[in-house]
Amino acid sequence: MFFHIVLERNMQLHPRHFGRNLRENLVSKLMKDVEGTCSGRHGFVVAITGIENVGKGLIRDGTGFVTFPVKYQCVVFRPFKGEILEAAVTMVNKMGFFAEAGPVQIFVSNHLIPDDMEFQSGDMPNYTTSDGSVKIQKDSEVRLKIIGTRVDATEIFCIGTIKDDFLGVINDPTTA
Amino acid sequence: MSFATDSPVHSSSSDDFAALIDAELEVGSSGSSPDDRGNEEKEVDDDNDDDDEEDEDDGDGDLNDHGNKRCKTEKLEDQEEPQGSTSQGLIEEKLEVSLKDICTHPGSFGQMCILCGQRVDDESGVTFGYIHKGLRLGNDEIVRLRSTDMKNLLRHKKLYLVLDLDHTLLNSTQLSHLTSEEEYLKGQSDSLQDVSKGSLFMLEFMHMMTKLRPFVRTFLKEASEMFEMYIYTMGDRPYALEMAKLLDPKKEYFSGRVISRDDGTQKHQKGLDVVLGQESAVVILDDTENAWTKHKDNLILMERYHFFASSCRQFGFNCKSLSQLKSDESEPDGALASVLKVLQQVHHIFFDELDSDLASRDVRQVLKTVRKEVLKDCKLVFSRVFPTKFQAENHLLWKMAQQLGATCTTETNSSVTHVVSMDAGTEKSRWAVKEGKFLVHPQWIEAANFLWQKHPEEKFPVSQTKNQ
Repeated sequence: MFFHIVLERNMQLHPRHFGRNLRENLVSKLMKDVEGTCSGRHGFVVAITGIENVGKGLIRDGTGFVTFPVKYQCVVFRPFKGEILEAAVTMVNKMGFFAEAGPVQIFVSNHLIPDDMEFQSGDMPNYTTSDGSVKIQKDSEVRLKIIGTRVDATEIFCIGTIKDDFLGVINDPTTA
Repeated sequence: MSFATDSPVHSSSSDDFAALIDAELEVGSSGSSPDDRGNEEKEVDDDNDDDDEEDEDDGDGDLNDHGNKRCKTEKLEDQEEPQGSTSQGLIEEKLEVSLKDICTHPGSFGQMCILCGQRVDDESGVTFGYIHKGLRLGNDEIVRLRSTDMKNLLRHKKLYLVLDLDHTLLNSTQLSHLTSEEEYLKGQSDSLQDVSKGSLFMLEFMHMMTKLRPFVRTFLKEASEMFEMYIYTMGDRPYALEMAKLLDPKKEYFSGRVISRDDGTQKHQKGLDVVLGQESAVVILDDTENAWTKHKDNLILMERYHFFASSCRQFGFNCKSLSQLKSDESEPDGALASVLKVLQQVHHIFFDELDSDLASRDVRQVLKTVRKEVLKDCKLVFSRVFPTKFQAENHLLWKMAQQLGATCTTETNSSVTHVVSMDAGTEKSRWAVKEGKFLVHPQWIEAANFLWQKHPEEKFPVSQTKNQ
C-alpha cells in the first residue's frame, strides 16, 4: 500500500555547499540519500514530493559541517499481510515462483499455487493448467495475496498466495 | 484460527474476553507496528459485541479472525453445517485447522514460512541460496519436491546430470599466470559479443582467461536432451555465473541451476543435498573424486583438461601445456565425446533395457554395469606395479580394473590375456612376450577408466628400465 507521509531527517551538509544554492543542495542531497531506501517502519521511500520545512542548522565543532533537521513529504510503499498486489514474475522453478512488485520480493510456494497448475520444466519453466489455458512463466503478471511480510533495514520479503478466488495471471507475455 | 473448535463452551463473557486478549496479543507480537492501530480499534468493537455473543457458538473464533468480511461469512456457513451433521463440513474444517494451526513450516523465505507466512527462526534444513537469496527448505519438503520432480522428469525421459566446470568443461587461468609462450593467446581470444561460437575468452574484468574444452557445445546440446543439467563448481559464485554465461549464452541448459562453493553445505566437499534430484537418478561428471566422497557411485571421473601452463604446474606436471604446444584436445575423440557416448548408453539402458518399475531403477547400478563392460573378458596379471609387501587386492589399480570388469590374478597361466607391468624386464613381462600375451603399461587401465573404452594395447608399451 502507498502512503503519503511526512518524515524528518537530520542532514549534514558540507560547508562548500553554503551560499545561494544551499536549499537546492540540501534537497538534492536529501533525494539522493533517501529515495529508494527502505526503513523497517515505513517501508520503501518511493519519492520525495515536497519539503515541509528546514530547521535551524547546527554547526559541528571541528568539521564545519552543518546539521539541518529537514521535514519532508514523501510517498512510501509498504506491503501488508492480507493485501492484494500485482507483481511481475521473475523466476519460476519447481519450488514455486518469485515475483517483484517494485522493490518487494515475493515468493509463492507451489503449495500456494492452485492444485490444477503443474510445473513444466524446460528452457522456459512454467506452471500451467492441464488444459493449457493459463500459464505462469517469467515476465507474467500475477495478482497475489500477501500472507506474510518481513521488513528489513534494506529489504522487504513477502510470502504470497494465488490459491484464492480472483488471484492468478492477469497478463500473459506470450499473448500480449 | 478456529478457536471455536478447541475452546470449551463459553461459560461467561469474561472467559471470552481473556481468550480474545490472548489472541490479540499474539497477533500484535507477530504482526508489525502499523497493524497495531487497526487491532486496537477492533478490540474496542469487540468489547461492545461481547454481550450478545453468548448465544452465538462461533463468535469467538470469528472475532479473532481479523481477516476480511467475506472470510467471516464463509466461516459462519462452514460451521453451521456440522451442526446439521454433514460430514463434509467437518472434514473441510479439519483441513483448515491443519493448514493454519499446525503448519509444518516446510521451508522459509526471508525467515518466513513459505506456507503460512509466519516468522520461523529455526535454522534447520538446507539453504538454497543459488536459487534465491533467503530461501531455505526443510528436509521433508526436499524429499517431497524430489519425488514429484522425479516423476515429472521420468515422464520426459530425462535424468539429472551434475557438471563440474574447471578441468572438466573448461580451463581457466589468471592473466598474470600466463607464461611468455602463451602471450599469443591474448591476440587469439574470441569476442565476448557472440560467445556461442568462440572457445577462448579473455575476461579482463575478472583478470582471467578461459578456454572451453573442445566438443563442449555439442556435448551440452546432446546431453540436454537426456538430462536436466546442473553446474556444480568449487569456484565462487561470480565466477560460476560468468562461466555459465560462456557455456550457455541463451540460458537454455542450466536456467539458474548453477551451484558454487558458497552454496554447499560442507566445506571442500560437494554434496547432492543442494541438488533437487533423487540420488538414484543423478550422474556426476567431475575430475576430482575426493570432492564427492558420499556419492562415488554416481560419479563418472573425467580426465583433467589442462590447457594453460599454470594449470599443469598446479597439478605438478612438468610437461608443456596444450597452449604452449599450440594444440588442443581432439574434438571427435576427446574426453567429452567419449563420455557423451557413455551417457547415451547409460540413458538408453536406464529407460529402454531395464524391466523393473521406472521409479525403482537406479542409475548407479546402470553405471556399474556399463563400467563392467569396458574390460570384460580381460584377465590381468600385474608385475612390478605394486610394492612387494602391499596387499595386491587393496591397490587402487586392482580395484579399478575390477570395476572395469576385468579379472585380476597374481599367477600367470594360459587364461591370462594381459600383463600389466612397469618394466619389460621382469619374469612375467618376458613370459607375456613369449606367450604372445599383451604387455601393457598401467596407464592402459587408467585410460580405460577415464574414457570408458578399451584402448589399443600398442599405444601403451612397456619400456625396459635402464638400471636393470
